[in-house]
This record gives sequence, C-alpha cells and structure tokens, in this order.
Amino acid sequence: MLSTLILIPLVGALVLCLWPGKLESKTAKLISGAALAFTLGWVGLLATQFELATPGFQFEELLPWVEPLGLSYRLGLDGLSLPLLVVNSLLGLVAIYITDPKLHRVRLYYVLLLVINSAVAGAFLAANLLLFFIFYELELIPLYLLIAIWGGARRGYAATKFLIYTALSGVLILGAFLGLVWLSGNTSFDYDSGLAAALPLAQQVTLLVALLVGFGIKVPLFPFHTWLPDAHVEASTPVSVLLAGVLLKLGTYGVVRFGLGLLPDAWMALAPWMATWAVVSVLYGSLAAIAQTDMKKMVAYSSIGHMGYVLLAAAASTPLSIVATVFQMISHGLISALLFLLVGVVYKATGTRDLTVLRGLLNPERGLPFVGSMMILGVMASAGIPGMVGFISEFLVFRGSFLIFPVQTLLCMVGSGLTAVYFLLLVNRAFFGRLAIAPPTSTPQIDLVLPQVSWRDRVPALGLAALIVAFGLQPNWLARWSEHITLVLHEPYQGFVQARTQFAPARPPATLADALAADTALIAPTLTLPLPTASVPVDP
Amino acid sequence: MTKTLPLASAPTHPLEPFIQKLLRAEALLPDSETNVLEVVGILKSYGVVLDAYSKNLIYIADHQFLVLFPFFKYFNGKVTLPQLLRHWWHDRINFEYAEYCMKTMLWHGGGQMDAYLDSDDFLQRCGAAIAAKIKSNPAMRGLHGLFPDFLPEQVRQLAYYSALGQFWRVMSDLFIDLSDAYDAGQVKTIPEVVAFIKAGLVAVAANPITYAVEIGGKRYDLLPQAAGLTFLMDVAVPYVEAVFFRGTPFLGTVSYNAQANQISVDQGRFDYGALYADPLPIGGAGIPPTLLMQDMRHFLPDYLTAFYQSQGRGLDDVRVKICQSFQKSMFCVTSASLQGLLPHPADTTHTAEQAANHKFLAAWMDRLATSRLEVVQL
Amino acid sequence: MLSESVGITQFFVETSWLLPVYGLIGALLSLPWSTGLVRRTGPRPAVYLNIAMTLLAFGHGLLAFRGIWNQGPQELLFSWFDFADLHLTLALDISVLNLGVLELIAGLSLLAQVFALGYLEKDWALARFYGLMGFFEAAMSGLVLSGSLFVSYSLLEMLTLSTYLLVGFWYAQPLVVTAARDAFLTKRIGDVLLLMGVVALASLAGSLSFNNLYEWVKVEGLSPAMATLLGLALIAGPIGKCAQFPLHLWLDEAMEGPNPASILRNSVVVTCGAYVLIRLQPIVVLSPVALGTLIVIGTVTAIGASLVALAQVDLKRTFSYSTSAYLGLVFIAVGTEWPGVAFTLLLTHAVAKALIFMAVGSIITTTNCQNLTELGGLGGKMPATTLAYVTGALGMVGVLPLGCFWGLRMGADFLSGDYPVLAGVFFVVNGLTALNLTRVFRLVFLGNSQPKTRRAPEVPWPMAVPMVTLTVVTLLVPLIMAKLTLLPPWEYINPPVTALMLVSGWVGVAAGSRVSLSKSLARSLNRPLRIAQDLLAYDFYTERLYDKTVVAAVSSLARLSNWFDQYVVDGLVNGVGLASLFGGEGLKYSASGQSQLYLLTIITGVGLLGIFMTWTLW
Repeated sequence: MLSTLILIPLVGALVLCLWPGKLESKTAKLISGAALAFTLGWVGLLATQFELATPGFQFEELLPWVEPLGLSYRLGLDGLSLPLLVVNSLLGLVAIYITDPKLHRVRLYYVLLLVINSAVAGAFLAANLLLFFIFYELELIPLYLLIAIWGGARRGYAATKFLIYTALSGVLILGAFLGLVWLSGNTSFDYDSGLAAALPLAQQVTLLVALLVGFGIKVPLFPFHTWLPDAHVEASTPVSVLLAGVLLKLGTYGVVRFGLGLLPDAWMALAPWMATWAVVSVLYGSLAAIAQTDMKKMVAYSSIGHMGYVLLAAAASTPLSIVATVFQMISHGLISALLFLLVGVVYKATGTRDLTVLRGLLNPERGLPFVGSMMILGVMASAGIPGMVGFISEFLVFRGSFLIFPVQTLLCMVGSGLTAVYFLLLVNRAFFGRLAIAPPTSTPQIDLVLPQVSWRDRVPALGLAALIVAFGLQPNWLARWSEHITLVLHEPYQGFVQARTQFAPARPPATLADALAADTALIAPTLTLPLPTASVPVDP
Repeated sequence: MTKTLPLASAPTHPLEPFIQKLLRAEALLPDSETNVLEVVGILKSYGVVLDAYSKNLIYIADHQFLVLFPFFKYFNGKVTLPQLLRHWWHDRINFEYAEYCMKTMLWHGGGQMDAYLDSDDFLQRCGAAIAAKIKSNPAMRGLHGLFPDFLPEQVRQLAYYSALGQFWRVMSDLFIDLSDAYDAGQVKTIPEVVAFIKAGLVAVAANPITYAVEIGGKRYDLLPQAAGLTFLMDVAVPYVEAVFFRGTPFLGTVSYNAQANQISVDQGRFDYGALYADPLPIGGAGIPPTLLMQDMRHFLPDYLTAFYQSQGRGLDDVRVKICQSFQKSMFCVTSASLQGLLPHPADTTHTAEQAANHKFLAAWMDRLATSRLEVVQL
Repeated sequence: MLSESVGITQFFVETSWLLPVYGLIGALLSLPWSTGLVRRTGPRPAVYLNIAMTLLAFGHGLLAFRGIWNQGPQELLFSWFDFADLHLTLALDISVLNLGVLELIAGLSLLAQVFALGYLEKDWALARFYGLMGFFEAAMSGLVLSGSLFVSYSLLEMLTLSTYLLVGFWYAQPLVVTAARDAFLTKRIGDVLLLMGVVALASLAGSLSFNNLYEWVKVEGLSPAMATLLGLALIAGPIGKCAQFPLHLWLDEAMEGPNPASILRNSVVVTCGAYVLIRLQPIVVLSPVALGTLIVIGTVTAIGASLVALAQVDLKRTFSYSTSAYLGLVFIAVGTEWPGVAFTLLLTHAVAKALIFMAVGSIITTTNCQNLTELGGLGGKMPATTLAYVTGALGMVGVLPLGCFWGLRMGADFLSGDYPVLAGVFFVVNGLTALNLTRVFRLVFLGNSQPKTRRAPEVPWPMAVPMVTLTVVTLLVPLIMAKLTLLPPWEYINPPVTALMLVSGWVGVAAGSRVSLSKSLARSLNRPLRIAQDLLAYDFYTERLYDKTVVAAVSSLARLSNWFDQYVVDGLVNGVGLASLFGGEGLKYSASGQSQLYLLTIITGVGLLGIFMTWTLW
C-alpha cells in the first residue's frame, strides 16, 4: 500500500529514462504528471481507508533489509505524515504542471523531480530511523542538480551552498540517530517512542541538540538559514515551489517526529530555549524580509519567519500546539507555494523581481490583474487574515503555546504583524500605481505591453487559493486526521504542560460541561458540521 | 523631411519642427500607413458612437427638460422590455461618457455661449420656460422660490446638452464621411486626413447653434438664433479646450486631497485632457474615458480589429489600443483645428502674417509640450 | 392565523444568520464582472445584484427585528472547530439592539450603494467596488450580530482587509498606494494587540463566547498586572478601528478612497469598532488602568481631533477628524461605564455623519474639487445638497433636539455628577464641532462663486434620492428614538445640563458665523498663531511622529537584520574555509558536467559513509 507512493514516481522516472529516442517535453510532462496524479489519488484512497481513531502507524509495511545494521524497510502512515504526503503529491504535480515547456535537458529534469517526490514520500513514511535518513539524503542530490542546472546566474554558488548545508544537516541527523540507538543499547533503528527512555538526560540533550541543529538547517532556523534565500533566488519557479512547500517540511517534520517524539526528557529541558529560538527566528526572518527588494528573496525570508512558528508550537507540546505544527506546515506549504508560483509568473512576464522598479501590475488591460489578485489573497493569508488557513494555523500555534510560553508567544505574534508590513510593501510597490517595469525616464517610451498570463498558468494558483480558503473556512477537514497522533505525541508531556502552565486557568462553571464534552470528543472524535445545534433563548 | 524653410531665423521654439509641420499643412502625427489605418478606423467607430451620443444628448435636452427623475433618459423615448433588459444587462452605449464631456464643458466654460448663459437675456428666457414647466407643481414652485438658482443652473446644463449634441452630430457625419473616403481610396495619408477634417470644420464653422424646448405646446427659445452662437468658435473651440486640453482630474490617477495640492487652483492649467491622457490605465478604476473606449470597441472596422489582433495581447487589451489610436486621431483633429484657426493663410508670404501665425502656433505648442505629442511620434 | 404568523416571524429570526451572508453572496455574484470574465458588456448587473442583496438583507432584518421585538433575544450557535481544549463556536446574538444596529448598517449601505451609482457612474470598475461593498457590509453585519469574541475578532480583520481594498480601489493613484498600505498597517497594529488579548483570553477563560467570558470575569483570579495587560490589549483593537489617538491617522488617509465607501467608513465602520469595545467592556472592567486609558485616549482624541478638524482645508478630512472626535466621546462613555450613552451617540452620529458625507460626495462630483479654499456659493444652486448638509450638521451637534443632541446631552448629564471634567469635554466637542460645521457651511455654500463652483448643477437623482431620503431620516431620528423608547421621559431631563449643551452648541455656531474665513484658511503672519495653525493642519505632526519612531525603528531593525545576515551570518559561513567551494568557479556546472556530478555524488557519499564507519568504531 504505502510503497506505492514511493514506487510510482520511481516507475515514472524509470519510464522517462528508458523512453526510446528523443523525449519530447510534452510527453515527459505527461508521464511524470500521470505518475504524480496517480500518487495523489493513491494518498486520497489511503485517506479514505485511514482509521481516525487508531493510534500509531497504519498500513505498516516491514521488510528486513540490512539486519546487522538495524536497518529495515519499515513504513507506516499516521496523522502527522498523511497531510504532508498529500501536500507532497499535490505540489509535485503543481511543479510539473508549471514547468516551462521549452526547458532543456527534459529527461533529466523530470526524472529528478520524480525522484525528489519519491524520496520525500519515503521520508514521511519511514518508520525506521536509518530508512528516514536514507530518503532524507536521497532527496538532496536531485534538488542540488535542479538548482545547479536550471537555476539563475549564481546557481553554482547557491546550489553548492545548499548542498553543503544540507549535507551537514544529514551528518548531524545521522550522528544523532546512531547515538540514540547505540547508546540506548538497541540493535534496531525502528521508530519507537520509548527508544530513549533509559538514556541519561545529558546524553539525551546532546542528541537533541544535534537533531535540532540538523533539522534546524533544513527548516531553516536562524542562524542556519542563509542557504535558503540564495537557493530560492537561483532556483526556477517549480523548484522553489517544491523547496518551500515540501522540502522545508522535512525539517519541521523531523523536529516533531524525532525530537518531540523520541526525546521527551531532553525536549522538556530544552523547550524554553527552543521557544526563544523560535522567537529569534521569527523576528529575524520577518525583519530581514522587510529590507529585501527582490520579491523572491522576500518570500524566502518570510518562510524563515513562518517556519519558526512550528518550533514554538512544538516546544509548547500541548495537544493544541502539536496539531498546530501540522496546520502550520500545511498552511505554509500551500501559501508559500502560491506566493512562489505568483512571483514566478511575474518574473516570467516582466523579466524582473525587483521591487524598486516593478509598479502597477494590477493594471487590468496590460498588467497582470489575476496574478495581482491572487497575490493579495496569498499575502493576506500569510499575514493571518481570517477566512484563510494561515489564520487558523497561527491562531492554533498561539493559543496552544500561550499558557506554556506566554512571552515567546506574544513576541511571535509581533512577527505576524511584521508579515503584514513586508507583504504590503511588496503588494503596494509592485501591484499598485501606474504600470511600469523600469524606473521612469525622461525620454518618451512606448506604452508597456506585458505578455499575457494564460488560463493554463492560472489554474494551479486558483487551485492552491481554493485550498487555502477551504481549509481556512473548514479547518476540521485538516484537523481530523491528526487528532490521535497529537494525543500520542502529547502523552509524555502531560506533566510538563501542567507544570508549566503559567496562569492556572480558572473556568466558569458554564464551560465545565463543554470540557466534559470535549473529553468524550477526544475519545470518539466526530466531524462537526456547521449546522445550527441550538437556538437557545436567553433571558431578556 | 527636414527641408529647411526660410523661417529658420524666427525665434526657435522647443517644438519648432511641429510648428513648421502645421504650417506645411502636415500633421502633429507622423504619416505612416498604420497611423492612417488606425486614425481612420478609430474615427469611423468614434463616428458611430458620436452618432448615438449626439442623438441622446439632443433627446435629453429636448424631451427631458427639467425632469427630476429621468429614469429612461438613455432610451430616446422608446422603452420596451427587451431594451430595458439589455439596459440592465449593461449591453448598451455608455451615454454617461457623453454627459461627462458635457459637464466638463459646462464646468470649464469659455466662448460666447458660456457668456450668454450668464446674460439677462438668457435668464429671462430661462425664467419663462421654468415658469411654464413648474406651473402645475407647487412643490417645485416652492423649491424654486427657496433656491432660485437651482433650476436656471439645470437649464444651463441642458443648453450644453443640446450644444454638444449638435456639435457631435456634425463631427459624427464628418468622421463617417472620412471613413467612406478612405474606403474609396480618396484619403491615403495623414496630411490628407487632416485636410479632410479641416475642410469639414471650415465648411460648418459658421453654422448657428440654437436650443429651444416645447412646453405645453409652446416653444421657448433658450439659445436663440439672435444670440449669434456659432459652431466653431462657441462650441468646437471650447470643446477642444475643455476635453482635449483641460479635462478633469481622474479619480483613479490624481488625488483630490487639498493638502497634497495635486490639482491646480487655476483650471486653465489643467492638463487632464485627451491629448495628455495616459492610455495605460484605461480599463482600470476611476478612468472615465474607459467608457468611450468600451463603446468604440463594438464598432471597430474589420481591418482595425485585425490590426489590433495582430499586436501584443490581441483583443485582450483592445481598450488601451483603442485609446492609443484615439489619441493619435485626436492629434490629427487638433492639427486640423489649429490649421483652421490660423489667423492668416498658412502659405502667406507676408512676414508680419507669418510671424502672427508662428506666434499663434507657438502659444499652442507651449501647451502641448507636456502632452503625449512625443509619444505618438514613436 | 396568529400562530402561523408567529411561525413565520420565528423563521425570520432563526434564519438571521443569513443577514451577513447576503452581502457575501452579492460580493461573490459580482465576481464575473470584477474579474473581467464578462468584458463585452458592462459591469452594472453586478451593481444591481449587490443592491438587491442589500435590500434583501434590509427587508429580512426588518422582519427579524419585528419578530425579536416580541420574543426577546435569542442565540444562534454553530459549532465550528473543536480540538482538545479549544472550542470555537460561531455564536450570533439576535437581540433587538443588534438587529437594530444591523438595520442601520444595511440601510446606510443601501443608500451608499445607490449613491455610488451616481458618484461612480463613470467608473468601469463598478463591479469590484460593489463586490467590496457587499463584503464590507457582510463583515459589519456579522460583527454586530456576533456573540463570540473569536467571531468579532475575525470580522474586525475582515473589516481591516476590506478597508484596505476599498481605500485601494483606485490603486493606480499615487497617494492611494501609500494610503491603503498605511490604513491596513495602522489598523493591523491594533488588531495584533487585540489578537494577543484574544489568545490570552481564550487560554485563560477557555471560551470566547461573550456570555461565557462575562461569567468568567466574575470568577477569574488574575494578577493586577496581567489584568491590566489584558485590558490594554483588548482595547487596542477598537482604538485602531475607531481611529483614536495614536492610531487615528488611517482615517485621514482613507479619505483617498471613493466617497461612498467614506460614507460607510465614517458612520458605521467606526461604529463597529466601538461596538466590539462595548461588548468587551464587561471584561475590560477587570483593569481600572484600561478603563482609565480609554478615558484618557477618548478625551485626547475628542478635543485634539475637534481642533485639528478646524484647521483642515480638505472637505473630506475636516469631517473625518470630527468622526474621530465623536468616537472619542464614545470611548469616554465606555471608559466611565455608560454603554447607553455610547450606543446613543454611535447611532445618532452614524446617521448624521453619513448624511454629511453624502453632501460632501455631491459637492465633489459637481465641482471636481474638495479644497475648501476653492469652494463657495453653492447654496442657491444645489438644494438637495444644501439641505442635506444643513440637516446633517444640525443632527451632529446639540443645537436643536435632533439626533446627536440626545446622545451628547445624555453623556453630559450622566457624567456631570462623577466626572464634571469629562462632561465638559462633551460641551467643548459640541461647541467646536458646531463651530467647524458652521465654518464649512459658510465656505462651501455661502459667499461668492469661485471658478470651480461657478457652474454647479445639482447632482442627478441616483445621488439626490439617497441624500434626500437620509435627510428625512435624520429629521425623523428623534421620533424613531421615541418609538423605540430610547428617549428619556421629560422628568429625567436635567435642565441645567441640557441648557448648557444647547448654549455650547449655539456659541459654536455663533463663533463659526463670526470667525474670519480667510484666517481659518490662509497661514497667519503672526508666528505663534501660525505655528499653532500648522500644528493643527498637520494633525500635530502625527505622521512625522510615526515616521521618526515606529517606522524608523522597524526599518532600521530591518536594515540591521539584513546587514547582519549578509555580512555576519553569511560572511562567517563564507569565510570559514568554504569560500573556495562557494566561489562558484570551482564547481560551476558546465555543459559536460556529468563528470562533476559524478564526482560530487561520490564525495558526498564517501564522506557520509566515512562518518558512519568512524561512528561505528566509536
């Protein structure tokens, strides 16, 4: 069942490799698109079979592999990985869809995209630490090549930087995994939440620091982030979409799955530091974004800011904040994918992303009004305007973390305000005003004509926007998958959360009934539909 | 092209080449095949639109005289259900633009007509018509008593409705004739277009402008023949001044904020007219000429549609393209008007007359310095 | 028969949740035109659809209002999101008061939309405008019905967004570019602080429904510091929304937007902000500091904005400052725990201010000008506009027993006992507003015609009809209030305070009719006077204050971060021995780059393997 998600893209890649004669761009796109559409459908199918109330991995697959090393091919699906797998397939499909048809070295390009997709799916599914690591590393080289071959002018620099950072990240993660298993005297690398239970705190902390730095590079968190803006700026649009939408999530997924999930004692010890680290990352990313004049770089820095929320929520480790990490990952995946997509369209149409020269793109006849409207939607979603998924995920992050880390939470909310600052700078500079893509000159100029954005280019943006709004209006569609894994992950932290809760919540008697109802809801979650449940007359 | 003329010794104006062109009976717009095609084609559709505008303006002036709730003023008296549905679906000519031009003219004033509307003679005539109209309406009589300037001001506006309607009647026919001449192969270059328009304008220059309404079977002359208002000097020139040159600041591009001081106190220094307008924002919010461009797109001759189709975004940005062509054509009309208004014949050999001509054109060129003149040369 | 009619009214009450939805449907229906899918025909069908939806909302609201009048308030609950200890419920409070305010919103929105039909008749982006108005109306309607702080917060953000989009309607206009941005960001400051309060309350109280929060307030055990912070955070949102000092500048800038939107913004949008404040007041009472802050901010804004309004030369801005001033009085009323005064002031102010802004719109349409120094002599030519302005002005101040008189009187009366100084603020604002309205009346309607007002035919019926309708409504406000038993019985009217209110109003009128107009516009030669004049004309230089403080701080921090990023973080990385690799020269991918790829893969692989092996040994 689960291997299908890994194998189908690989089969697609194989077909592309073995395709006789010259491979037309269209054919390649069709084949790889079909492969990912199939995986998307397959994830959907799995979702329908997914049992919401079953804790732990489902659809498990186990093949012994290199037993002396403790490496087994063990896959499992749970509420943490399922939404991410959907996003992976979806954004993979988007990336293929928006790929420039006039690309050179078609075969290699699509093969690499498919390999990335397969590797990321593998990483999300792996229920064995070493297996995860292999997939994690496997995704690295194709991405390096995608940047290095189809990137911008400074692609060599950006790609190498990416490679070195991520390789370092891999080394640290591998070190932590090996240490974890061997120090605890295990022989198997299979995922087990009790793996580190016997380790002394000092060792756990060391391991967690290695993991945090390792995954922190990937997330990326300050100060390990500088590879990201460079990589984004040089990468082509589909690669940026994948990078921001999916690949960064490997980092946060790793933090939650292996840090939060495997090293609870160390996690509790380091949580305040992590929350503070999140604040630094959020504020630093947001402030740096304000100073950018390259649209893509601005969106890249905004990623740094927004991924910081995941760390804050993970550090707080309440049930709500853990589900918030999933929300924030999905919401950031969708929103940043949309933003990178739009920036790509702007770049394609105008040849520049420079905010000091772009003006008035909302112009309805000659400009890019569709892109402009979608951009406004995207930045508003990113700035946390209600009605879109960005708001509910930020709200969950803040609400889930507030009682544990009030100061850090409030400071992160400042970051949410700063998001509005830089994104409004972007929108108002580039999309408002009189249409222009160059500074005004004294010599007369023929009125500007920009190439039109076809409906073909609009479809993915519309699709992403629809998802952003749909999850914003109906977050239950997202939350239902993760309810149980959240509780499982939260379990070791109950005492910690209770001890750290800053202001003993005093509840009015009226809500006690609600709390009881909520407890039953946790045991047998039901999907709540927006129907009027009661019209209670209140005393006049 | 750059043949030096004996007038080279005259004080050189920054736009001297254009002055020379006008004196040589050429146009402010360079002559080229596509320019001719664009100008004639757009004037053809403009002619069709002006025909509709003009009929409606005259209808409103004559039949909606002091009607407070003119719900069907754009129907020219024929209200049928299909027509009403089309109107509601907004599948119609945007007569609002004609009214906008009329109001702009009224607001800027100028010419004998403006002066006449303030004269006692007019007030008397207007008073009589108003009295007849509100005779059986006590509420209106009361209002008129309280606000004695209210209804006369409306009548002045109606006079402009009529005058602009009469002006556009002539222009519409002229532009359609031009298009016919082009189709017949009689007009091939921009100077010929200009000459055609100039001849048309000169021919009707002295036509009288009058306005009368019928109330209760009695005729009330509001702009009588005796006022001596003529086509060229009292309507055409103020129209060019108000619409081509001054215009009104567009809400979509200019801030009305008093503290920002973006709008000049002196209306004479306004440069929001058709010759200055930036075609790029057409189609956007707060740009009234969009209405005209939208109206013209329905009546483009096939050759012009094909031409637009072949350029840039094809018909998707057609309103901007129409505006660009329209601006070119308006430079031709301006050329024709300036040549028609020259104080002395353009080919005069008399030095003093040459100087007077030069001075006349130089004054206009001063105003055109900031216009789109340079852009239409590209 | 009777039971059947009760059933039908009950149906209208139970479907009250539709009231905000109508506007939203209108907004969605205008999409085909606003997105340019329909290009060959014009955008007006979207206009008619939106007006029809607003009419529907108004009618439905009226029926529901009648139903609720007889039945007493009801609560509609929709469970929205439940997870762990978070329960977010969409709660709607259907009460006489809420439905009454909703009717006011729907009614004014309807009139403003019809008005816009004339004001924007030359605008081709009508569909977008009406779609936004529908959205705007939906957010406001939802806000007044909301029975949960979560819903209120969400809708306040929607209002922020739609204000941004409406102010940005003429996006190509240079000042709009900055005005829309600043309007959004200024409100956003308040919103983020409010969000902090909302998150804190949600965490502490466990529920965000107002009723539960009111219960919680009785049992909470917050430390005074915490309570103060919470109270301040909660009032920050309304401070931004109601354009109170120091977050008031956006309203001035928002005047760049289309006038029909300004009609709503100066009347009901600010009212919505204050509405949330009134709903929050029972929670804010936790903190005396927050209440005190409300009073201080209200007083500063009321007096300051009234003075600033006097020095404005812009027709729209002089009245937008007066909006801030009146909302300042509302803040005082909330801060002193007199919500009744706040309500009365809000509702009467909304009607009168909307009417004044309609008159303003008609003046701008006719004269293409909103500069007071260039206007004059419109009185005789524009009867509907003149009457609208005069009625609106009389309704705004306490000189005749029209709308605002009752609110002002009530405020001064209630406050005169405990806070005579604050009662004085009511008198001062009344006097200053009367002065300003008289000054503007003389400048615009009296005097000689100027070039731009020489030809001023009255506006066409789409603008005149809503204006006249609202004029009549403004005159009827006292009767409506009497019918809804909002007016006090005669014996409760405090004669000295009432007399003082009338006196302050008439003194203002007298001063306004005597003050030399040229002096109120031209800069004085007397230096101290000129300084004072400039200080007021430029709103105490608040904008420059922002620039020098918040804006400067954020932008220098941003530059610092960027510099740090480039030269320290990245510089360090580039410097530490990796420079040669990053140089790009050594590793540049070339056409025949397969070998290098190979090489690289091997290097990486071997490196990792090496680490793996060494680790095993260890």
